[in-house]
Amino acid sequence: MAKYIMKRIVYMIITLFIVASLTFFLMKLIPGSPFNNFEKLSEVQQNILLDKYGLKDPVPVQYFHYMVNMVKGDLGVSFQFDNTPVTELLVNRVGPSAQLGLQAMVVGAIIGIILGVLAALKQNTWIDYLCTFIAVVGKSIPSFIFAGLMQYYIAVKLGWLPVMLWRGPEYTILPTIALAMFPISIAARFMRTEMVEVLGSDYITLAKAKGASSFQISVKHALRNALIPVVTVLGPLAVSLMTGSLVIEQIFGVPGIGEQFVKSINVNDYPVIMGTNILFAVLFVIVTLIVDLLYGIIDPRIRISGGKS
Amino acid sequence: MTTKENTISKDMFVPAHVDPAKSEKIAKKSLNFWQDSWLRVRKNKGAVICLVILVVLIIMAFVGPLLTPYSYDTQTTKYNNLPPRIQGLEDVHWLPFDGTLTRKDGTEYNAYEVRKVDAYYWFGTDNLGRDIFARLWKGTQVSLFIAFMAALVDMLIGVTYGAVSGYLGGRVDSIMQRIIEVIVGIPNLIIVVLMILVLKPGIIPIIVALTITGWTSMARVVRGQVLKFKNQEFVLAAKTLGASDLSIIFKHMIPNMFGIIIINTMFSIPNAIFFEAFLSFIGLGLQEPHASLGTLVNDGFKSMIAFPYQMIIPSIMIALIMVCFNLVADGLRDALDPKMRD
Amino acid sequence: MKKSKLSLLLVLSLVLSMFLAACGGGDKNEGKEKGNKKANTEEQLADKQELNVLESAEIPTMDSVMNQDVLGATMFNAVNEGLYRLDPDQKVIPGVAEGMPEYNADKTVLTIKLKKDTKWSNGDPVTAHDFVFAWQRAIDPKTASPYGPYFMMGKIKNATEIVNKKAKVEDLGIKAKDDYTLEISLATPIPYIESYLTYSLFYPQNKKYVEEQGKNYAKDADHLLYNGPFKMTKWKGPTATEWVLEKNEDYWDAKNVTLTKINFNVSKDPQASANAFTAGEADITPKLAQAAILSQFEGSDDLLRYLEPSNWWLKMNEKNKALKNENIRRAIALAVDKKALVDDVLANGSIVSDFIVPKGFTVDKNGKDFRDTTDSYLKTNKEEAKKYWEKGLKETGLKEVTLTYVGQDTDTAKTTDAFIKDQLEKTLPGMKINIESVPFKIRIAREDSEQYDLLMGGWGPDYQDPMTFMDLWVTGGGNNHMNYSNPEFDKLIDAANHELAKPGKEEERWKTLQKAEKIVLEEDAALAPLYQRSVNLLINPKVKGFAHHAFGPDYSYQWIKIVK
Repeated sequence: MAKYIMKRIVYMIITLFIVASLTFFLMKLIPGSPFNNFEKLSEVQQNILLDKYGLKDPVPVQYFHYMVNMVKGDLGVSFQFDNTPVTELLVNRVGPSAQLGLQAMVVGAIIGIILGVLAALKQNTWIDYLCTFIAVVGKSIPSFIFAGLMQYYIAVKLGWLPVMLWRGPEYTILPTIALAMFPISIAARFMRTEMVEVLGSDYITLAKAKGASSFQISVKHALRNALIPVVTVLGPLAVSLMTGSLVIEQIFGVPGIGEQFVKSINVNDYPVIMGTNILFAVLFVIVTLIVDLLYGIIDPRIRISGGKS
Repeated sequence: MTTKENTISKDMFVPAHVDPAKSEKIAKKSLNFWQDSWLRVRKNKGAVICLVILVVLIIMAFVGPLLTPYSYDTQTTKYNNLPPRIQGLEDVHWLPFDGTLTRKDGTEYNAYEVRKVDAYYWFGTDNLGRDIFARLWKGTQVSLFIAFMAALVDMLIGVTYGAVSGYLGGRVDSIMQRIIEVIVGIPNLIIVVLMILVLKPGIIPIIVALTITGWTSMARVVRGQVLKFKNQEFVLAAKTLGASDLSIIFKHMIPNMFGIIIINTMFSIPNAIFFEAFLSFIGLGLQEPHASLGTLVNDGFKSMIAFPYQMIIPSIMIALIMVCFNLVADGLRDALDPKMRD
Repeated sequence: MKKSKLSLLLVLSLVLSMFLAACGGGDKNEGKEKGNKKANTEEQLADKQELNVLESAEIPTMDSVMNQDVLGATMFNAVNEGLYRLDPDQKVIPGVAEGMPEYNADKTVLTIKLKKDTKWSNGDPVTAHDFVFAWQRAIDPKTASPYGPYFMMGKIKNATEIVNKKAKVEDLGIKAKDDYTLEISLATPIPYIESYLTYSLFYPQNKKYVEEQGKNYAKDADHLLYNGPFKMTKWKGPTATEWVLEKNEDYWDAKNVTLTKINFNVSKDPQASANAFTAGEADITPKLAQAAILSQFEGSDDLLRYLEPSNWWLKMNEKNKALKNENIRRAIALAVDKKALVDDVLANGSIVSDFIVPKGFTVDKNGKDFRDTTDSYLKTNKEEAKKYWEKGLKETGLKEVTLTYVGQDTDTAKTTDAFIKDQLEKTLPGMKINIESVPFKIRIAREDSEQYDLLMGGWGPDYQDPMTFMDLWVTGGGNNHMNYSNPEFDKLIDAANHELAKPGKEEERWKTLQKAEKIVLEEDAALAPLYQRSVNLLINPKVKGFAHHAFGPDYSYQWIKIVK
């Protein structure tokens, strides 16, 4: 097991290296200068700016410098925010996004799994249909519509919750719900499918024959096995939730990373794009590893040895 | 009584002719896999109704724009932001087709009368005075196209990739999984922006960007399933019987995961439609005057409070398409999964 | 709108936020209205003089020398003060300076006395040396200030030489004759120098403090010094989405500052901003452009609408064979129904533009608006457009013309582009327009490399003079990028910049600029002006004395009073 994890970590580093390199070169293909009003400056002035940020070197040299600095933990300085190290920017902005993502993930997974299990246990009854309906609607309507409607009716019309901004727990409720709609539907749909399948399998019949109570059957035997595909899907979803949603952050005025990232792409703020992307990639590979390890824990039939069979 | 018994003589019985060759004969016409599945899908009324609705929507996506006298891109700015109004239904006030709008203070007024417009826009007009009915069907066309393309790629690349990766295992699996991580690691927004530069902005860069990154989740799910099945008895049995790797993957394993594949495909359809809507939200979507459900919903969202119908109509369409796809998917899943046969 | 000034820079940075914003405007009528507002402040003041403001972006920097953003300029205007500032009527009034400058005979040397009682927030007095330091810092190539050279070159003596390393930083045309006397030498007479000096780039910086802080200077609210009406008490640096200003009791005019506190928050979604306003969570929203959002507030007391001096037009690249033809250009310029564009499509109070220099921006010696003393050109006329189109096609031998139209990817821009495409294709038979909506940076790149046929662009002023709109079109000019060239026009602009810039020639200079405008539009139809934009924002009617500006900072908060 330890050896396996070690091996995976080595792979992770290689993956990150490739992601960083590819992103770096792809980004350099996007035309336009990273500076505001660059074109109206005189040539001398342009050279001064390019020199300051080392943008006059050939791209491979820039790449080399960037990689060396990255290893040292220096992700460069933002172009759009004067004199702001990217690491500082990430630290400031990741918090709210991660909190929101985590809350949405937990809420979404719990509600989703409950809905899915209920639907499977009461297959083809009105409960099933209701759960399916909730799950389907949750992913059928774009989140900005949910967010917009909730903001207008719950916050503006009813005045139950604050309209926007990020100042305390009550400010996180609406964005969390809006963000949780998608994980709810994903979890519910996958859970139902898996549960239905598992409940029809031989070992459940066996458990029934042995007189296990239906609660025991659904929780101890079925749920555990049905969770695998759900975990596969929810893992990466958690990363994408935690790395911020432009739409939700923008509508609720959350000072998160998602909105910042999209803006950086639009203004060619290379260091911020790179830094954010590397952060996303790190999170993603870590979650992938965790998901793979979880397979083994949840389903003993899968051997973690990387399939040496 | 006994006499009666006696009346049945032994010679009344003739031994049945047993043809050993016919002992395995099945009276019912033999059905192939798909016919069989269709039989089962048919039993699920919800799925059938949804299938019919989907077919109607697809037909309407092409026929709809022809039903109205207005073209999807004809602008009449004088008649912009008119609410829905339908001949015959305009006097039924509880229906939202009477051409009235509500002011901020809650009073209602008939926009057609106030602005002296003698026309019927069934679903109203947008801010350039374009007919939303025509745009809706045009948009449905485009969105379904994007969605089907994305789903197709998902199925083709995702399933194959995931199955091969999971089945072969070992180093190949490791490398293939790392490739997925790399692909997922590169933000698709960067890819979209690049595509817009390489190709002209429009539908193609969107599809390409979806294609490049969309299949990875399918591949991961399929791989997970293959890992699960790999050591199970039926696969071992097939192996022992000398089945080739290809036939094990495609004949034995994949039918067992139809359920999960179809569910996942059904997720890639809304994902595709939403990704396009998201691109519209940040301004990288389709080019004017073309419309998709994504751009329509997004445009409507901006007028959510002043002209709610501009958001509600395309939202209902998206929701309808999604619900139908899901219920059809459920029906198909139940029908296709060999373990679910009754 | 590319490389326009500060104001439009903001637009740039707002590519993602759904709406366009630009610098504050304000014509004379607005000024009057403000006067009325002032009169209204006789009403009872509210107990709590605290304001909640939503802004649409973060402050990119609080180092005045590094700033190139209009929000930054607005903040400097609130927490710092330069020699002069703008009053609600866009008039230049003394800030740190004691009075208006004294000029030498040819108006190239200015002597300015400073107030003796102004203080930095650390207690140091604000002296002439602080100005010299800041200006030298701005031009010093080592600082790599993006705007320093842009604002100083060709204007302040020796600035160009310093940038080209032909002179030392100390040679810059600003000297402290004593602690409270500044002498500024110009490279050439500048008719608009007084309003030019209101820019935050020309603000003072405390030498000792800046050098002591080094890299940490302007890192956050604790690493800054203030000498303006407010102090920044909370700001965690350029990525912060909230910041707080509080009244500066040491400000020389503190007795006229009523507000005690302003809370700023960033909201990038216009509908959400309107929602927060409706729910009473904000007193002032960012600029809102969407007609649908504005229509909810049409006619309400909450809506503040004013015309800003930013002009929007269709650039026609003469590299294209068809667009090289004057008649085809004229046909395009005449074919768009601009009235429908501003009334139905934009529906935000913008006005039809048949000119280059916007309305309500500059006045001549007699106080008359530039626009009121000259004609307008290229008014919509579809019939004429068709005739010119026919003629143009005949001359070029073309049957149909397909043009690539590069536009921006914001909502308002996309709608406008769709409208213009429709207008051109319908009015001019054989015309085919392909719209390409691209992100802002890419649009700029396309414009710079002249890879477009038609391009939707706009311009906001860099300084308060018609020249900021007129010198864009000189042959080979850094902002021309449409291959327009007319030697006669070039000559007129050169004259206005040099001989006619001397004292006593104001009237002739004005006439020359008006003639130059006529050449570009009436004679050459080089550009198709479309509309002059209006700013719309929501402001709580209880907030009185809110001042907006035509260039430089968007707003001034110091005269605001909140009534009951």
